[in-house]
Amino acid sequence: MISVGIEAMNIFAGSAYLDVMQLAKHRNLDTARFENLLMKEKAVALPHEDPVTYAVNAARPLLDRLTPAEKDRVELLITCTESGIDFGKSISTYIHHYLELNRNCRLFEIKQACYAGTAGFQMAVNFILAQTSPGAKALVIATDISRFMVVEGGEAISEDWSFAEPSGGAGAVAMLISNQPHVFRVDVGANGYYGFEVMDTCRPVPDSEAGDADLSLMSYLDCCERAYGEYQKRVAGVDYQQTFQYLSFHTPFGGMVKGAHRTMMRKIVKAAPQQIEADFRQRVVPGLTYCQRVGNIMGGTVFMSLASTIDNGNFDQPARVGCFSYGSGCCSEFYSGIVSKEGQIRQRQLGLENTLNERYHLSMPEYEALLQGSGAIRFGTRNTVLDTQVVPGAWAKSRGKQRLYLKEIREFHRKYEWIA
Amino acid sequence: MNVEEIFQVIVQHTREIIPELEEHAFRFNDQLKELGANSIDRAEIIALTMDSLSIQVPMLDLSGAQNMGELATLFHEKL
Repeated sequence: MISVGIEAMNIFAGSAYLDVMQLAKHRNLDTARFENLLMKEKAVALPHEDPVTYAVNAARPLLDRLTPAEKDRVELLITCTESGIDFGKSISTYIHHYLELNRNCRLFEIKQACYAGTAGFQMAVNFILAQTSPGAKALVIATDISRFMVVEGGEAISEDWSFAEPSGGAGAVAMLISNQPHVFRVDVGANGYYGFEVMDTCRPVPDSEAGDADLSLMSYLDCCERAYGEYQKRVAGVDYQQTFQYLSFHTPFGGMVKGAHRTMMRKIVKAAPQQIEADFRQRVVPGLTYCQRVGNIMGGTVFMSLASTIDNGNFDQPARVGCFSYGSGCCSEFYSGIVSKEGQIRQRQLGLENTLNERYHLSMPEYEALLQGSGAIRFGTRNTVLDTQVVPGAWAKSRGKQRLYLKEIREFHRKYEWIA
Repeated sequence: MNVEEIFQVIVQHTREIIPELEEHAFRFNDQLKELGANSIDRAEIIALTMDSLSIQVPMLDLSGAQNMGELATLFHEKL
């Protein structure tokens, strides 16, 4: 069987971020208990940034490293998102255009809340394994931004705003999937998937989100156990503690992952509290590092955690990473792959941590202005020209970088330009 | 085990998670949220109670209780 997996991956975590502890104080949240949630920063999308610019800005550095002949072998472009801008035309069409990809390429978009990235990834893996077009590559991009406003009223479905606001981020992860898995070699056939209908969190109207925090957390925990249980059934001799040197979780926020890991270690491994804490630091924390700086980026979050694990883990010996993906509604999956030193060296050349460090630090008044919808465009906007100077400092920081921004919308058609 | 005994197990685990409630006199109509338990804390209290009672059902089957007494009743139905 041919090898398959991630040839290269890159993240885009916005051009501006907010310090969420500052936000917690500003909102008068109980900061002592807030610390247990393990959140640090969150990326905030500016009005001239949308799921398309996030996706293109994540993918461009990967494509720039390919030769023209290699780039021409990208024959499948899947965008994974719950932040769609049109019910019919997929985001992939815009991305394909601005990345100047080969026209002999399949273009579409898929949705299943935060599981979308994994859904796209698995479809791409199957495209390579099926040998539909030997030697071809797939580009999978998970891209999402938080919606600005909360659905108000109702009985069960209302947002636990105190959690949702600090955890809701924005970000994109782009991955080249091919038969040269330099970065993450997939354990083919080692997949445990689990899904059922539940109304935990959703986007039932344009420009807004709703959810039930307790239901969502319980569903996540149930899926974590059941998806792994299915993986265990299919893979002989697997051991939750010994088989995976690292674990990358879908990370709405660190505290949730810590809770899920604790539950799994208690139930599956029968571990004592001290042992659980040490295991968390060893196997899980490397994957939290980047996630804690962007917030929940939905479809791409599990891959943000994987990118963080690869950059921050120890891969002197090749190591297996177990990945758990969960998307509300719901569908989930546990799968795994191997990361080597070579993969880590390649990934570190992209300088992901630098891209996080180089973002603009939003002040609370700047953030409040964005939250109140200053300059934001609503779903279905027909004509508008974007104000790029809502946060002048953030625009200035992006200058000189190869970054795409949304310039205007003309008869629903979005027009983008590169920041000079 | 009756509902009152289950309620005491929930109280014990609530105190483990939120030590500040050591002196609190728990009542059936207390809401964990109002006592300062966030959703992570609430899920952990339920998980620990499930362990103590050796109940193995999906956590989602234990959702929807409006207060600690209702939660104890839900657990009782699963025994």
